[in-house]
Amino acid sequence: MIDVKNLTKDFEKTKVLRGITEHIDKGEKVVIIGPSGSGKSTFLRCLNLMETPTSGEILFDGKEITHLHDKEINQVRMRMGMVFQHFNLFPHLSIKQNITLAPVKLKRMAPDQADKKAMELLERVGLPDKANAYPAQLSGGQKQRIAIARALAMNPEVMLFDEPTSALDPEMVGEVLQLMKQLADDGMTMVVVTHEMGFAKEVASRVMFMAEGVVMEQNSPREFFRNPKNPRLKEFLSKVL
Amino acid sequence: MNFAESFRQNFIEADRWRYLWDGLCTTLLITALAVCLGMILGFLVAIIRSTYLRTHKLLIPDLICRLYLTVIRGTPVVVQLLIIYFVIFASVPISKTFVAVIAFGINSGAYVAEIVRGGIMSIDVGQLEAGRSLGLNYTQTMAYIIMPQAFKNVLPALANEAIVLLKETSVAGYIAIADLTKGGDIIRSQTFSAFLPLLAVAAIYLVMVVVLTRLVGRLERRLAANDRR
Repeated sequence: MIDVKNLTKDFEKTKVLRGITEHIDKGEKVVIIGPSGSGKSTFLRCLNLMETPTSGEILFDGKEITHLHDKEINQVRMRMGMVFQHFNLFPHLSIKQNITLAPVKLKRMAPDQADKKAMELLERVGLPDKANAYPAQLSGGQKQRIAIARALAMNPEVMLFDEPTSALDPEMVGEVLQLMKQLADDGMTMVVVTHEMGFAKEVASRVMFMAEGVVMEQNSPREFFRNPKNPRLKEFLSKVL
Repeated sequence: MNFAESFRQNFIEADRWRYLWDGLCTTLLITALAVCLGMILGFLVAIIRSTYLRTHKLLIPDLICRLYLTVIRGTPVVVQLLIIYFVIFASVPISKTFVAVIAFGINSGAYVAEIVRGGIMSIDVGQLEAGRSLGLNYTQTMAYIIMPQAFKNVLPALANEAIVLLKETSVAGYIAIADLTKGGDIIRSQTFSAFLPLLAVAAIYLVMVVVLTRLVGRLERRLAANDRR
């Protein structure tokens, strides 16, 4: 579904990504872990072109997307949902409006259809009573669940998660991970940058370790955590587990 | 001459109060239209500048905007008014009030632009990213997500700019517009007493500014209460 070929990304003089070649299949749940500054968020943000790669190719459903025009980039982004560390809900809009804004403005749904979809999604994330609340009235965990619902409203084929639980109070991490697990069980293709090793073990179909701008090791979660081979990964796991 | 007599002479005799009343109307008309022009210009410039700063697009329009801001904010409004009247519109038969609206509108636009740009830049870049990640284009994200928040944040500052403009129009007399200030001055030149006419002018400005400032304060409190919901 997503093919990445020799992807690099420089910020000014710093080489953040140093040539990544990856393939992500439909239905896969890829969890990316690694120390901060390893380029894992940048890699994720390149997939939906929130960052423009310096070189290399990204193919989405066989189509090269790194040299598209803005209009076509927007088309690609409609098919990839993204969830951010800091939720980025729209504070001036009600929860329901947060969810319906994009599908309605992008003419994917009529307003009443979008409203119905929003209520379905709110049921799904367990917050149907918050439809008319505003983001400021929600807890962090609730905000992130709404952010996930907002991304799902566009019926994306892939969901990208950029450290979705890193900004949450510990007691709220569970509810968000639970929702992500549900999503995974429903067959969603997911790429998740996270520090939640439990989630990686339980949900991932493949775990990737990134450091210094490259993928140093990847494996099924079982092998990945039981038999890490790369010394950097061994060191990293010894610190976080 | 006692106060009553002086009052009668300055305001009642020969219907001199009409200089103040007509002047006030002119002042309010110029201010209202200049505020509108300033807002339109200011928002336009602010959007161009913040677009350039965030996306590095619109380089040429941004350069023009920067030139505009530097020139307008770097020169006195009276000089701008005189140049627009005596140089730019020198050979065009045109209403002076219209010239004043243009001059004060262009002047105010520069200050509005910087206020609004500050408002736009103060919105977390995550808002832009969230909008774009959903597939909205830059214009849609600005229109539905960034600008509504920025506008709310800068509303009190914009209202204050309008109040400042109300006072600044008092130099309209330089191109012989009979605004409120000029009205008081005309009375002074007729009655040869400066005290009452000029005090009356000052009092009228003060009342307007105090009332408008109160309204802005109320607006600010309401917006703040809105944020806590």
